[in-house]
Amino acid sequence: MRALIAAAVGAAVAVVVALVAVPLADQNGPTTAKPLLTSAPAHP
Amino acid sequence: MRQRLALVLVALAAFLAVLGVMLRVWVYPNVVAVPDNQYQAVVLEAKDATLIDYSSMTAVPHQHVTIVETLKGDAAAAQAEKKRTGRDVVVWDALSYILGNDGKRLSAIPEIYPFDAHTQDPVHCCGENVDGQTVSRVGIEYKFPFDTQPHDYQYFDPQTRTAAPIHYKGTTTLDGLIVYYFEQTIPWTQVPFPKAMPAGVAITPDQIDKLGYQRWYTTVRKFWVDPVTGAPINGEEVHDEQLRMPPSSGMAPVTIFSGDVKIRPDYQAATVALVKKERALLLMLRDYLPLGLPLSGLVALALAFVVEGRARRRTAGGTPYGGAAPGSVPDADEDGGAGDVASAQGAPAAPL
Repeated sequence: MRALIAAAVGAAVAVVVALVAVPLADQNGPTTAKPLLTSAPAHP
Repeated sequence: MRQRLALVLVALAAFLAVLGVMLRVWVYPNVVAVPDNQYQAVVLEAKDATLIDYSSMTAVPHQHVTIVETLKGDAAAAQAEKKRTGRDVVVWDALSYILGNDGKRLSAIPEIYPFDAHTQDPVHCCGENVDGQTVSRVGIEYKFPFDTQPHDYQYFDPQTRTAAPIHYKGTTTLDGLIVYYFEQTIPWTQVPFPKAMPAGVAITPDQIDKLGYQRWYTTVRKFWVDPVTGAPINGEEVHDEQLRMPPSSGMAPVTIFSGDVKIRPDYQAATVALVKKERALLLMLRDYLPLGLPLSGLVALALAFVVEGRARRRTAGGTPYGGAAPGSVPDADEDGGAGDVASAQGAPAAPL
C-alpha cells in the first residue's frame, strides 16, 4: 500500500513538472527579430 | 530506513517513467516551436546565369547573379494574433531579391507568411500576401514541419501563388546528417511581374501588362531537409523566366533570368551548424529523455526491490522470533534488528 502511494506521489509530481515546464518554456522573448548570423544581409 | 529508501526509489521510478511519457506526449508538441522573433538570411548564387537587358530587350549570358532571401519574424504581429486567438503563430516578413553583376537590385518579391509555430499549418491573418497581393496559402513554404516525414508535401510557390506537391525522392547523407531529399517541378506558368522593377527601367508592371507582354516561369526546386527540425540544410533551384510578347508581334520570347541557383557554401555551412545544434535539443526532448527516463525508472524500481528484499530478509533473519537478537543493539537501519554494527558486547552481527 505504501509503495502504491509512493508511486502515485512520484507520478503526480512528474505530471506537475511536465505541466509547469510548458508555460515556462513558452515565455515570449524580445519582440524584435534578432539575426542568427551577424554577417547576414540586412532586411530592407 | 531501508524500507523508507525503497519507498523513495519506488516514487522516483514512477516519477521518471511518467516524466518520460509526458515529455513525449505533452512537452514536446507544446514546447517545440519556430521562434517568432528570429531573423534569418540565406544567400544563393547562380554563377553562369542569363539575364535580360531591358534597354536592348536581349538576354545576356554568363552573368553572376546573387539572390538574397531574408526571413524576419514579426514578433509583435505574432503576439497580437496569439492574444486574439490563443494560437502560437509565426509571421515571417520575407523578401527575396536578385542582385546583378554590379550589385544592383534587379527584382524583389516581399511576402507576409503567417503559420502555426508548432505544426507549420498556414494561418490566414496578419496581412498574408505575396508582393502586395492577398493570398490564402495552402501547404508549407521555406521550412518543413518538425519531424518531417518521408512523403510528399504541398509546397507553396510564391511566383504562381499556388501550392503544388513537393515530392519525397529519397534519403541521403549530407554533411554528416541523414536528410530527406524533396523535389518540386513547376511547369511553365504565366506569373505576374514583380511590382519592383529593376533600377533604370522606366516602365511599370501595369504598363507592361497593357502592352500585352507576359512573364512566364518554370522551376525545379530541390531541398535537402533535416527531418528532425524540418530545416532545409541545402537548396537549389533550376530557374527559368521568359518575357513573352503578344502573338501578333511575331517576336520570340526573351529570357528574363535563367540559371542554376545554389546556396552559397558559407551560408550552407552556417545552416548545417545551426541545425546540428537545434536537432540535438529536439532529439533530447523527443527521443532520448522519453526513452532514457523510463529506463532509469526501471533501474530505480529494481533497486527498490533489492533494498526492500534485503530489509525483509534482515527483519526475518534477525532471530527465530523475528526480533532483535539478545545482546545486540539497534543499528542505524530502520528495522530495529542487528545489522552491520557490532553489538555492545562485541558479538558478531546477525547474518542477513
